[in-house]
Amino acid sequence: MTKMAGLFRPKKLDLSGFVNTRLIRDNNKRMAFEQTEPERQALRYMIRNTSLSGRVRAQAQLQLSQMHAYTRPTQIKNRCVASGTARSVFRDFRINRYQFRMQALAGELPGVRKASW
Amino acid sequence: MFSYTSRSLIGVGKRLRAPVPFRSLSSPTQPTPPEQEKTPAQDPTPTSTPVAPAEAAPVSPTPTTPIATPAATPTATASASTAPVAPTEVEQITKSSVKEWSERLGAFGEDSRLPRSVQAIYLRPLRRKVEYGLPVCDLQLRSYSVRNVEFFTDFAIRAAYYLNLPVSGPVPLPRIVERWTVPRSNFVHKKSQENFERITLRRLIQIKDGNPQAVQAWLAFLRKHAFYGVGMKANVWEHDSLDAGKAMDASVAEVEEVLRPELTQFGQRKDNSAPGTIFDTLNSERFAERKRL
Repeated sequence: MTKMAGLFRPKKLDLSGFVNTRLIRDNNKRMAFEQTEPERQALRYMIRNTSLSGRVRAQAQLQLSQMHAYTRPTQIKNRCVASGTARSVFRDFRINRYQFRMQALAGELPGVRKASW
Repeated sequence: MFSYTSRSLIGVGKRLRAPVPFRSLSSPTQPTPPEQEKTPAQDPTPTSTPVAPAEAAPVSPTPTTPIATPAATPTATASASTAPVAPTEVEQITKSSVKEWSERLGAFGEDSRLPRSVQAIYLRPLRRKVEYGLPVCDLQLRSYSVRNVEFFTDFAIRAAYYLNLPVSGPVPLPRIVERWTVPRSNFVHKKSQENFERITLRRLIQIKDGNPQAVQAWLAFLRKHAFYGVGMKANVWEHDSLDAGKAMDASVAEVEEVLRPELTQFGQRKDNSAPGTIFDTLNSERFAERKRL
């Protein structure tokens, strides 16, 4: 249980397209969560299971709290794949509202067009 | 269910062939020379001979003569040598050039016809008759453009006909409208916004009481010839006979054979099992300790 965030960083950059420090960091968090998810779930189950002894449950609690922050699902934040922004990212297109507007006006998003009703 | 299911291809051919000669008759560009000898020969309907020349006479000079006369009159006044040459050249060009559209279409309508399969493209898709009306497959097509989805539904229905599958549809399902409102610039200018939308069009094609293998072949064919910008989703139902229980009983041995590797994974691990009985565990120190807690 080292506290080093670099532990989860891949040796080689495994992202393409727009790349940002914060985007890479978010990607590392996603990878870390994916790898440790079974372990987290097992510990969570042990903590909630009343048929287990208190000692075991307390130990599980400690272990879970000592896991690295990057393994938490709450650390993951959706980011714009075209600009790396974290605010107002559309889930449908995974891009920022500004990027969405530019791409929609350029006709790069299939089926999206100016609406008036 | 469908009034035009039993329509035969021979009747279709007649229907296509009929309008072509009529168009050739009515077209004003038809080359009719001043001599009226050729007009009855070109006219396909001999009954209307007294009417046709009278109609053709005022129409026929208009396309041919005005072109010739302005060319002839100035040349005749200017020089006598060039005047007789010009009209002959014009006549030669008109005769040697490709036939008029009306003639070509007329010959196409009378002398030859398209292959039946090509003719069918110009007509509504043919359909097989539904016998029992038992739904077998639901195919939903989705697209953002009407043209694409309409074209592909037509294609799918035609393909189903040649695979001997009765089709009902296309049912135009409700459109899915998604709208987004976006500020045009920074958050300060929130008052000026822009609206965008994406409308998904859907069509449902239902196959009724078709052979399951033919349905699979149809779906594979559609996947092979998938059209750009058109998504497909299929729900396939399989129907079994009433005495399905007997068939299931018969297939128990096979199923057990298949499940054996999975079933061997079940049960307690041998290295994990306690050596004594359950009472040894209950009376053990650790268990008693836990009780006190």
